[in-house]
Amino acid sequence: MIGTQSGIRRVNRIAGSVVLLTLVVWTLAPLYWMVSTSFKQNNEIYGAGLSLWPRQPTLENYATLFARTPYLIYFRNSMLVSLVTTLLSVLFASLGAYAITRLRFPGRAFLARGLVYTYLMPQSMLFIPLLSILIFLHLENTRQGLVLAYLGFTVPFCTWLLMGYFMSIPTELDEAGMVDGCSRLGVLFRIILPVTVPAIATVAFFSFTLSWNEFLYASVFLSSVGVKTIPTGIPSFIVEDVFFWGPMMASTFLSALPPLLVYFLFQRFLIKGLTTGAVKA
Amino acid sequence: MAVQELRIGDRWERLAHSQVFLAYLFLLPTLVVLAGVVVYPFFSAIWISLQDKVAGLPGKWIWTANYAELLRSETFPLVFYNTLFYTVFAVLIKFTVGLTAAVVLNQERPLNGLYRTILFLPWAIPTVLASLNWLWVYDEFNGMLNVVLMRLGLLSQPVAWLAEPHVAMWAVIAVVVWNGTPFYTMHFLAGLQAIPQELYDAAEVDGASTLEQFLYITIPSMRNVFTITVMLSSVFTSTSVVAVHILTNGAPAFRTDIVPNFAFNLALVSHRLGIGSAANILFFPMLVALIVFLSRQLLRQKSEV
Repeated sequence: MIGTQSGIRRVNRIAGSVVLLTLVVWTLAPLYWMVSTSFKQNNEIYGAGLSLWPRQPTLENYATLFARTPYLIYFRNSMLVSLVTTLLSVLFASLGAYAITRLRFPGRAFLARGLVYTYLMPQSMLFIPLLSILIFLHLENTRQGLVLAYLGFTVPFCTWLLMGYFMSIPTELDEAGMVDGCSRLGVLFRIILPVTVPAIATVAFFSFTLSWNEFLYASVFLSSVGVKTIPTGIPSFIVEDVFFWGPMMASTFLSALPPLLVYFLFQRFLIKGLTTGAVKA
Repeated sequence: MAVQELRIGDRWERLAHSQVFLAYLFLLPTLVVLAGVVVYPFFSAIWISLQDKVAGLPGKWIWTANYAELLRSETFPLVFYNTLFYTVFAVLIKFTVGLTAAVVLNQERPLNGLYRTILFLPWAIPTVLASLNWLWVYDEFNGMLNVVLMRLGLLSQPVAWLAEPHVAMWAVIAVVVWNGTPFYTMHFLAGLQAIPQELYDAAEVDGASTLEQFLYITIPSMRNVFTITVMLSSVFTSTSVVAVHILTNGAPAFRTDIVPNFAFNLALVSHRLGIGSAANILFFPMLVALIVFLSRQLLRQKSEV
């Protein structure tokens, strides 16, 4: 009896390992192709000399990317837009989440519901009227306009996540602070935010990556090279036919690094954040 | 003078301590943003869909002509059907692969942390980059897929993965699955780890097989996680433009086009904002049920916290 049980368990574990190996190969294969292509010379990328790994690794593709394309401008724009969006989202969301979880006011339940609805509202429904609005505000084709549009999905999402964390902090802490003469803002900034650093980190991570990855709004609202972000900038490399897959994969690899980096840094917090609130796919 | 000043100060003092005033003051930026870039645009989308409109110019009121044109056309019904097909299969496959991955990662095994990090990787890769990456993997003559399959002798001719009418949609779905599965794996893994071990121990004592334990303990305990993950993912999968836009942009002959991308091209390539909006709105009823149900679930979850 005991023998068969452990036998079954061993079979399970071996089957599990086979499945796991398959999944690891499936996950890594395209990434391998991206990274290896970026270090290959053209004769190893195309045609008869095609090689599955870089035989003579080169940084030529990266050099082409920096010298002959506006990649660095796109990178700077992406960084600016993502950082400003993150900063504003965290600020607005902290204030909002504090109000909803700590203060009594008419319309509170309605607002909580409204946040969920606005968070679930897909960008594809909104981009056409938003374009008209940004044109009206003379903000089309500007990074400020893009940030404004991004706040529409980062703020409800961040507020929602922070609400969950704020609710887990006992209100006695606030009361103690107010007895000691803190104002409401003081309570928020001196008492609540310091004990919710992991939550703030999670929220900042999500705003940053959501803005860094965003494609639709960026493609619709931005048209000139000087303001384009990575998601709308690098696909146009193909259309313009300036150059091909070597530099393209170099740019893809470089552009994936910032989100990967924050992912590794924040990994521990993120899993917790994920289970606390719903997260954008 | 002094008295009046005192009174103003007093009133300010009272106002600053009024919770209602403070609450709305704190919520002001959020309210302005949400009203301006979510709520107003949503209603404006309906308004625009009833007009013949070019960006930046006032529209011409044409009532339901945009809707009629879409419904009479041959392409829109096809694109609508594609969207449902694409969403259902992408979600179904992500669910299956994600659950499998979560179950396997939940087994005890050395280096599990490393495997988890690897399997979660695609989640941190922006979809736009994943799509460009796969566009190159699928390349007919120099892409990894054809080269490897031909060198292994599994293919004699290169396949144009993104141009063959019967293959292209599956090729797009594969990319979405690659990019989106970790979202499921994470949720499911967290769900699995929340199931008390005692349940399994008790079942073991009663002589339940591994399969029975999975069917009668794991699946029922995960029902909530399943619902929320699938619904969230359905909303975002069916409305995300980027994979389709980069990989095929709807080719061949709209066979891989989905509603949001179709609307994107109508609005930005053909400069017809009205009919683009109408296409989105015709698909919206598909989302409403999901959104309403999901927000109920999420709100209930939050009130339990």
